[in-house]
Amino acid sequence: RLYCSIQNQTSTQHTTQQHLQMGRELSVQALLDMGFTDTQADQMLERANKDGAGQSEHATSTLMVLFVLGLNPSTVLKVLEKCPELFCVKGTHLEQRIDNLRRLGLLEGSLQRVVSHYPQILTLPYKRLNTVARFLKEKCAFTVQQVTDIFRDSPAVAHCDLGQLEYKFQYAYFRMGVKQSEIVKSKLFRVPLDEIRCRHCFLERRGLYQTPDKKGQTLIVNPQLNDFLAVPEETYLTEVAIATQEEFEVFQKLMEREWLEQDDGQERGMES
Amino acid sequence: TKWAGSLPKYPHTNLALQNFDATHKLQLEEAWPSVRASMLCEQKYGALVNNFTNVEGAMAQLQFQGCRDFVSWTVSEAAREILQPAASSHNNPSSLESVVVDQGIVPASLSQNIKCLVFPRGDISRFKPSRPDENGLLGYYLMDAASILPALALDVQEGHSVLDLCAAPGGKALALLQTQAIRFLCVNDVSVGRTLRLRRVLASYIPKDLLTEDKLRVTSFDGRKWGEMERDTFDRVLVDVPCTTDRHSLMEEENNIFSRARTKERQRLPQLQLELLMAGIQAVRPRGVVVYSTCALSQMQNWYVVERAIHLAQEELGISLQVADLRPLTQLFKETFNFAPDPYLGQLVLPHLTANFGPIYMCKLKRIN
Ligand SMILES: C[S@@+](CC[C@H](N)C(=O)[O-])C[C@H]1O[C@@H](n2cnc3c(N)ncnc32)[C@H](O)[C@@H]1O
Repeated sequence: RLYCSIQNQTSTQHTTQQHLQMGRELSVQALLDMGFTDTQADQMLERANKDGAGQSEHATSTLMVLFVLGLNPSTVLKVLEKCPELFCVKGTHLEQRIDNLRRLGLLEGSLQRVVSHYPQILTLPYKRLNTVARFLKEKCAFTVQQVTDIFRDSPAVAHCDLGQLEYKFQYAYFRMGVKQSEIVKSKLFRVPLDEIRCRHCFLERRGLYQTPDKKGQTLIVNPQLNDFLAVPEETYLTEVAIATQEEFEVFQKLMEREWLEQDDGQERGMES
Repeated sequence: TKWAGSLPKYPHTNLALQNFDATHKLQLEEAWPSVRASMLCEQKYGALVNNFTNVEGAMAQLQFQGCRDFVSWTVSEAAREILQPAASSHNNPSSLESVVVDQGIVPASLSQNIKCLVFPRGDISRFKPSRPDENGLLGYYLMDAASILPALALDVQEGHSVLDLCAAPGGKALALLQTQAIRFLCVNDVSVGRTLRLRRVLASYIPKDLLTEDKLRVTSFDGRKWGEMERDTFDRVLVDVPCTTDRHSLMEEENNIFSRARTKERQRLPQLQLELLMAGIQAVRPRGVVVYSTCALSQMQNWYVVERAIHLAQEELGISLQVADLRPLTQLFKETFNFAPDPYLGQLVLPHLTANFGPIYMCKLKRIN
């Protein structure tokens, strides 16, 4: 399979193959032959030698797998700068993991985008990814397509602790009353839990957000999750919360303390 | 469940919130969301310094933690601004103070010697509880710093006799006693239980020799009867009425005035408040001052009560009242508190996350005849 896909690549990649066969260690010449520019080759070597990753027997095969995936040299450089651990992953494992991402529904295009934005996803054994996928389907009742969308939009979920993931989901689903489709649309899993809670609670205390009742009804029209989570703080404040930066800053400090004390189950006894 | 604690989820606090959403939204308009969020968050306190203990010690300790006396701080700030060029000649604080008063920077009509420390805007630090000194007296009393304002506005002068008609648990009475100007103070509260608490508070802050019968009287009468008992008597009367205690009602389930069982009582509050204010107006001597205050936002309990009292006093008792202008006071303390813009009668402190004090409403009336 590997051989076949290489056949389809351009001549640059043919040379690559030759170099791979010749030696395992990275050299400037080899990198230039792969299509890197002088500067890129230097950067790559520097990166690779920083923690000895370049000496890894897998370094060249890693590069090759990334080329085979269709990434260009500058993207490959970025990927490895972001995630030098990949130098040390066995080529066959990388292929396995990429194939698994395809099986999870990531199509060409999305697949490359995910890998270039979040190469860390390839450091995880494919079994782990499948566990997360199963968890999202079974525990959170996302559809197969929604699970794919989550991996595409928020690949970092792969690394999340499942307990925390569940907490975040339940917060959105029960506490905020948001359905799965909206959770996916809002790219909720990209946002840290504290930020979700802060933005939500702030709106709630200002009287601008209500948890729907059992029939899914509210007395006010809630803003769309999409409009207040996936936007910069300034937009959130001026367009949704209609509040000042100072107010929100104090609110965040207060929330942090409230949650801390809630967790500790602490009682405070202040005289009034 | 897992999600408790984020909003009042119990019936009574919820009823309070629904009620406020219906009434305060109309009244405060675009300011309501901000006030609402503030009241649902932890409030800020102020430390009323007890002048009868080691003041410097207590002040130093509190200032070390980052707070400052908002009263003297504001006064000296205001003075510094105006006196910039002449600043060097007014180095010592007492002369600063006299200049400040002479030049009308500070409204002369402020009770003196009241010190209340607060953490700056946006600082959410908490006070530690005060510890007793070698005489068993506490160094400071923690209360909503905005509650100091009615006591400041009362303008207690040397030798005054003062009535605090609804005094328990005693925060404002303590503030008044800090002036050390009062010749005779009468503190009253209809509730016997709360009067006991008031006594305990006074005993923990005020030396025994100042609590003797010729200086202080603690009573448990229905304040509404005062007009019949003691007319035209006091130089100053504070009428700090029972109200919907808005912040409290949003946070505390127990004994909540918005519980169904207390609906009647709540509906009768404005009438009770009016009667208490009328009694206060009768108890004060001509040219004396009455301050009316609540910790509610509702107009029905605030200026509406005052307006009706002014009217009734004139019509039924022939007493003319003049509403004092509190703008110099709000102007002075606008850094510390968030005052409602252009109130119709009196002044209102609106809670704000960066200055989470109040709500406190106050109106100062001078009796003309
Ligand atoms: C807002 S609290 C006073 C707080 C107090 N001034 C302080 O600063 O600590 C109102 C008080 O009015 C009392 N009260 C209620 N009805 C009264 C009445 N008819 N006569 C006198 N006091 C009354 C209540 O018992 C309550 O303690």
